[in-house]
Amino acid sequence: MLDLESRARIVGRRLRPRRLYNWELSAGLTIVGLLLLAALLAPYLAPYQPNQVSVLDSLQPPSWHHWMGTDFVGRDVWSRVLYGLRIDMLVVAVITYLGLIVGVVVGTVAGYVGGWLDAIIGRLADTVIAFPFIVLVLAVIAIVGPGLKGVAIGVIIAGWALYARLARSEMMVLREQPFMMATKALGYSHLRAIFRHALPNLVRTSLVYSTVDVVVNMLVLAGMSYLGLGQQAPGADLGSIIASGQGYLLSAWWITTIPGAVLVLFGFGVSLIGDGVTRGGLAMEAL
Amino acid sequence: MTQLLRIEGLRISFAHRTGSTDVVRGLDLEVNQGETVGLVGESGSGKSLSCRSIIRLMPPHATMSATRVEFEGRDVLGLSRTELRAHRSRNVGMIFQDPFSCFDPTKRVGEQVAETLRVNVGLDRDAARERALALLASVDIDRPEQRFRAYPHELSGGMRQRVMIAIAISAGPKLLIADEPTTALDVTTQAQILALIEQLRRESEMAVLLVSHDFGVIAQACDRVAVMYGGHVVEAGPVDEVCAQPRHPYTRALLESIPSVESAGRRVRRAGIPGQPPNPAELGPGCPFAERCAHVRASCREVDMSLIRVTEGHLTACPVVADSLGAVATGVRP
Repeated sequence: MLDLESRARIVGRRLRPRRLYNWELSAGLTIVGLLLLAALLAPYLAPYQPNQVSVLDSLQPPSWHHWMGTDFVGRDVWSRVLYGLRIDMLVVAVITYLGLIVGVVVGTVAGYVGGWLDAIIGRLADTVIAFPFIVLVLAVIAIVGPGLKGVAIGVIIAGWALYARLARSEMMVLREQPFMMATKALGYSHLRAIFRHALPNLVRTSLVYSTVDVVVNMLVLAGMSYLGLGQQAPGADLGSIIASGQGYLLSAWWITTIPGAVLVLFGFGVSLIGDGVTRGGLAMEAL
Repeated sequence: MTQLLRIEGLRISFAHRTGSTDVVRGLDLEVNQGETVGLVGESGSGKSLSCRSIIRLMPPHATMSATRVEFEGRDVLGLSRTELRAHRSRNVGMIFQDPFSCFDPTKRVGEQVAETLRVNVGLDRDAARERALALLASVDIDRPEQRFRAYPHELSGGMRQRVMIAIAISAGPKLLIADEPTTALDVTTQAQILALIEQLRRESEMAVLLVSHDFGVIAQACDRVAVMYGGHVVEAGPVDEVCAQPRHPYTRALLESIPSVESAGRRVRRAGIPGQPPNPAELGPGCPFAERCAHVRASCREVDMSLIRVTEGHLTACPVVADSLGAVATGVRP
């Protein structure tokens, strides 16, 4: 492949580095950044305690006192959404990136070592991927018990395999690269070759994929909470808030609709970031 | 002169589904301390593989065996895993044809030099950085502080090869293996890199094993040369003597095919060598050059390709040439 300079010379244009930011990335970062800020500052932004019951104020529509209205026991939906977002974002970040770390490390080692270890890890990953994602998560929750811990363990067990497969296939390509052979010629240890030289070169694909995974996991978490398998009452979480308003959908639309919209907004924002990273300079096609 | 490296009877073969193919078939080579030895041959003659045997760096599916591979009198084939790593990191430095793909693209080149110093020499972070900058300066890189922070794709080919050399010599190796170090570079840079290697060799008294398909490069840079063909050394000796009086039909044909400066601009047809380089899978016993040789005899299909002394230090594998000179068959070099 030609380097940037010679490409520019052939095309006859002035060399200009690719822009790091594009509108997708900027918009995505803004949306997710604001949501993250709201979640982090929940204790300061929320006018009420998330579980503060006030039966006299039940099922109030949005107003100056209650921006997003109140639910059937008079809890402030705005406050509950803030706290729910807080816990959801934390859990999603932890499960997605724990899964990524486990998967990438396992896949890289398998691809580097090869042989029977690679065969075992490869088949194991294939088996996990062959299961429908939700069914596997439900099965794990059935064993561990309902609650955020169950969802987290389930998603990590079901989610590492894709990262392992991604990292493994990238490692197979990298293994043939002269610079990996050079680590041998220099007498470097296998650990150094894998973690200092191979990993930084293959983690990019997994990071880009993780932007899709974050959205999927957010929806799985909300879905599990909606089914009553995730966040347990009275704890606030986007899924459980939506579930709690389900019976009042016709009389009090705000209890389900607004947390749902926040969920959609989050997914939209993260997807924009993913698109922006793939299209923009961060993908570093020049390499 | 003290002997540094001695390879005897090296065989390298690739395993495949239907058996295995010998690519190197009984190679003898030696390198003395502080000298530059050239290994010349066409693509597929086994020269790169042969020099990788010195650090036992074989590609997958390749196996090597040898009567002897000795470095400073120590048996390389018998080294344990840790000893082999120490041998690779301290005794032998290696540079490759394509200096770009030999760098980790995600790390600054200076960091990669410093890493070798930390891992293989045992310097701490600051000392390694200091020493890396000095090394970059010693391989004639101007503004080393600035280059230290560059990524591999930001450097020119010649510059990358200089950094590569800096990494290779960072642990003060006794032998530098340069595997086609100038093939990817233009002629001007090529001369500079060769001059740099020669200068470093003289300063640090390390030996250099220079692998090339270009006789011009070898003639310019080396004290002795070994000519490879079809997995054998067919001729070895002092460069001047081999160039002036080649003692193997292949060497002669190879030298005759090089265009000279005098012929520039005139319509001169170079002789060339008829036929194709041999396919290692189809090679039988005897001289691999027999198919293309102008002086071939029936007995050529049976020769054992051991080297015969023609004059002191000058050896050939061709018994036909040796006979006509009345040389004594010695089998192995004295």
